[in-house]
Order: sequence, then C-alpha cells, then structure tokens
Amino acid sequence: MKLFWAFARQNFHAVAAYRFDFFLRASSILVLMYGIRWLWITLYTQRPGAFGVSLGQMVTYGVLSMAISNLFFTGPPYYMAQQVRTGAIDLDLLKPLDFHFHMLARSTGEMLFRVLVLALPGMLVGYVLFDLQLPADSKTGLLFVVALFLGYLVSFHLDFLLGTLALVTLEIHSIDWAFHATSRFFSGQFIPLWLFPGVVGTVANVLPFRSIFFIPLSIYTGALSGRDIGQAINFQLLWLFILWILSRWMWGRVQARIVSQGG
Amino acid sequence: MIQVKHLTKDYKRVKRREGFLGSVRTLFSADYETTRAVDDISFEIQEGELVGYIGPNGAGKSTSIKMLCGILVPTSGEIKVNGLVPHKSRMENTRQIGAVFGQKTQLWWDVPVIESLKLFRDIYKVPEAQYKRNLELFNELLDLNEFQNTPVRQLSLGQRLRADMAAALLHNPRLLFLDEPMIGVDVVAKERLRTFIKEINRDQKVTILLTTHDMTDIEKVCSRIMIIDHGRIVYDGSLEQIRAEYGKQRTLVVEFEEEVQDFSAPNAALVKTEGRKKWFAFNRFETSPSTLIADITSRYPILDLAVEEPEIEEIVRTIYRGKSETLATETK
Repeated sequence: MKLFWAFARQNFHAVAAYRFDFFLRASSILVLMYGIRWLWITLYTQRPGAFGVSLGQMVTYGVLSMAISNLFFTGPPYYMAQQVRTGAIDLDLLKPLDFHFHMLARSTGEMLFRVLVLALPGMLVGYVLFDLQLPADSKTGLLFVVALFLGYLVSFHLDFLLGTLALVTLEIHSIDWAFHATSRFFSGQFIPLWLFPGVVGTVANVLPFRSIFFIPLSIYTGALSGRDIGQAINFQLLWLFILWILSRWMWGRVQARIVSQGG
Repeated sequence: MIQVKHLTKDYKRVKRREGFLGSVRTLFSADYETTRAVDDISFEIQEGELVGYIGPNGAGKSTSIKMLCGILVPTSGEIKVNGLVPHKSRMENTRQIGAVFGQKTQLWWDVPVIESLKLFRDIYKVPEAQYKRNLELFNELLDLNEFQNTPVRQLSLGQRLRADMAAALLHNPRLLFLDEPMIGVDVVAKERLRTFIKEINRDQKVTILLTTHDMTDIEKVCSRIMIIDHGRIVYDGSLEQIRAEYGKQRTLVVEFEEEVQDFSAPNAALVKTEGRKKWFAFNRFETSPSTLIADITSRYPILDLAVEEPEIEEIVRTIYRGKSETLATETK
C-alpha cells in the first residue's frame, strides 16, 4: 500500500513539470461537463420521457461521468511500449517487484493523484455549477466508490493486456486509439447503456467495458438499485477475475520471450 | 560471490529477407538463424573483488551481465550469484545486486532526484535509518545534495550518473554491475566516479563488475581484468600479470648530443628516428635496459633517455587482434 502512495507522490512532482497538460485536462473536464448538461437539457425538451430516467438523474450521470473520466486508462501501454523500445524494461525487471504489480502500483498512484486534483474538484464544480446531484444516501455513495474502484481495476487490466500486446508489436498508437474509442463507447461514458438498441445493447451488456463507467454511474444516479447493484458488482468481479488470469498468463508468455531473446 | 561454469547463450533471430517481397514472405514463413553471443565461459569472482570486464562491441559483455542479473535465461551452463541461480530466483537475486547502465537511467525523468530515491526506498523496503545513513554517504562522496531537488531531465550527464549510482546502491547490494557507467562523461566527473567506485569497494566491500571501453578506468580502478571477445573469455588475470605476459616489449628512447647514424644494438631493434632521438624496442627478458644503455653510451654521448612501457590499451588491442587472427586461422 505504501508503494501506491509512493507512486502517487511521484505524480504530484511530475505535475509541476507538466502544468500545461494538467490545465488542459482540467479545462476539458469543465467544457465537457458544460456540454453534456446542455445536450441532455436540449434532448429532454425535445422529447421528454424518452430516456428512461429523470432529467436530473441524466444530467448527474453525464456531468459525473466527465468529472471521473480521467481516472480510467492511466497509461501502462505507453509506458510498457516505451520501456521495451528503449531497452529500459531490463531495469524494471531488475527491481524486486512483480511486473504486473509494479504496473498496478504505478497506474494506481496516478489514479489516486487524479482523484485528488481532477475528479474531486470536478465533482465540486459540477455540484456548484452543473446540477450534479448528491447520491440518495450514504450507502449508495459508498457502493458507488466500491464500483468505481472495481471499474478502475477492470480498466487497468484491459490496459495492461493492451500493453503486453504493445510489447510484441512495439507500435501501439493506432491500436490504442481504436481500443480506447471502442471501450469508451461500450462503457457508457457518454450514453447510458439502457439507451443502446437491440443487438448493440446486448453486446454492451456482456462486454467488460460496462464495469468502467456505466455500473458506478448507474449506482450513483439510482438507475440501479436493490439486488441489481449486487448483480452489477458481481459482474465487475467476474470480469476482473477473468482479466486478471488473462493478464498473468499473457505477461508470463511475454516475459518468457523477453528473457529468452533479450527484449 | 559469482560462479559461472560453461555458460552459453544462443539468440534465435528471424532471418530477414531483402526487399519488400522478402519481408512479406518473412511474415508467413520465417527462417531462424542462431547466433552464439556467449560461448562456453567459466569464471569465478570472489567477494570484494573489483573486476574490469572488457571487450569490443558485441563481444557478449551485456549478454553475460544480463544473465548474471537473472533477466536473461542461459542456453546452457551454470550461474550462481551468492548462492542463487539468478534466472530461477530473479526477485531474490535483485535484492542483492545493484546495476547502473550508463546509457539508460532508472530515475524518474520528470521528478527531482530525491523523489526517485524515496521511491526506490519504498520498492526495496529500505529501513529509514539505513536510508538516512546512505543519503549522508552519498552527499559526502557524490555531492548529491547539490542537485537532489532538480528534476532528472535537467541534470548534466555527470550528475545523472552520480544520481544513478546512488539509486543503485541505496539498498546496500552486495554486488554491483556497472555497464559503461562513465560513457560520455568529462574528465573531472570521470575521476570523481572512479574515486567513488573505489571507495565503496574498499569501505563497503561491495563486489563490482565494471564494463568499460576506457582503459584508463581499468588501470585506475580495477585489480583484475577479464577480456571477452567473440563470446569467449580470452584473458582473465591481474593487471600486473597482463603486463608481464603481453608487455614483454619495452622501448628505450635515447636523445643523443648530436645526430648520429642509424645503428643496431644487440638484442634491440631500432624502430624510429626523429632528429637526435632514436627509439629502440627490446624484449625485457632477452636484455635488460641497463645493458642496452651501457652499450649505447659506449658508442655515442647521450643527453637524455627514457624507458617506455607499452600502454595497457596497446596490449588489449594486441589481445583482441591476436584472438581474431587465431579465429581466422581456425576457420581456414
């Protein structure tokens, strides 16, 4: 656990170097929160009652989604590809750390940092300016945090798998772009999954991406309640388990290749 | 500390075909070619030794160091580092070794040096007291405090290497690998790193394996030298020994009072004449310098004289060349 904070601390120092990146992210959150709220208000005036939940819930869903959007996909694929290309992966393997755990610590450190500097301030601004409602009760709030963290872990493992792929292909920009566009769509970051029609809806319900935005946001807004919450969290746990096994297996193969061929 | 027996490493690489069609064909059916990077090497290093590990580029130095670190699996042969087999217990092995690769840094690029060190403290679970003690030592020997709050990307190369040394030694490893740690560093910074390397070897009994292309590093720092070429160890011994074995040749430089005709002295060959100066090469086991000097002074009056030993660099060049010549004759 100490290690997770150690990596988070590193990010605080790194942000001083990349202030521009930070302000860009912060301001894009503001613009997106403003935009999504305005979009749903317009759609609701056109066709009230067509979207399954109240306007207040929908705006909360959208604004919150933007506030937390930086917590997912915190970047192992780029790091991993870069380490292999520069040969610095040797130095990572020279640490008394399991590589998968090392990446998890690094990524979680970054995530914790973003919670403090981007997500929480974003939520506060959303609450003050953009009609972000509070959760119905503290239990809902707590379940949201749990689901959010599980969603983060699912996103990390998807990213890690993409990263191991990057170790093989060495080039990741196009795969990364396609993967993240797809995953953000199927995770319900912009449009809640209950609005997905027919087959697309069914597919989205089976894929792991739903764990990332849709489940925590649905819990928070009250779109999911009672036993459905338990089911949703089990769904996250199941996918997390599958992805964890897959990550261990893939990394084992890639590492075997690195140590037999020298990177 | 280190035992290596009949260590061999083969790389299997896809053989690329030329041209566009060739590369397309490679995608579907690949031919593999095997190259032997390390070829049946054996050596032992005792605790507290400071060994220079040298050889031309591509000789197999890095490959063998990677195997000692446990991040590369040998094709055959045995390695033991302080009783552990590196590639089988990689994690345990990493705790007892430290490494600096001159060309790569293990520090976090955008954050101050001290933050990277704190991260290593947490990764290696270094106790607070030990951490403080080591920082004091590094401040004293490396002047770390001069730049510990500067982000790594703003450091000069010399400073960065000092910081990398500190990072590699923070967990008090018993064994330190230095792979070209002074590449591209200016003379002053180099001298300082050399002193530091000697000091930690002497005071903390850290066993050190140093790879370098600079023979001055070897002369100033190491007590033993191993030369690897074409994946084989072609020389292993002390610096004096290498001089004794390969440095039989001495050169006597004589400056005469006036220009004299070329002449030959017994057991010595005239190799060069430049104005009033003449260079005589001789084998120090066939004749002694005093006999030679006596012979020459009996012929002509002389102003000045000096005996030159061959540079270690010259010797090493002879060894490299000698080895490739014998290889060439073997293949014939």
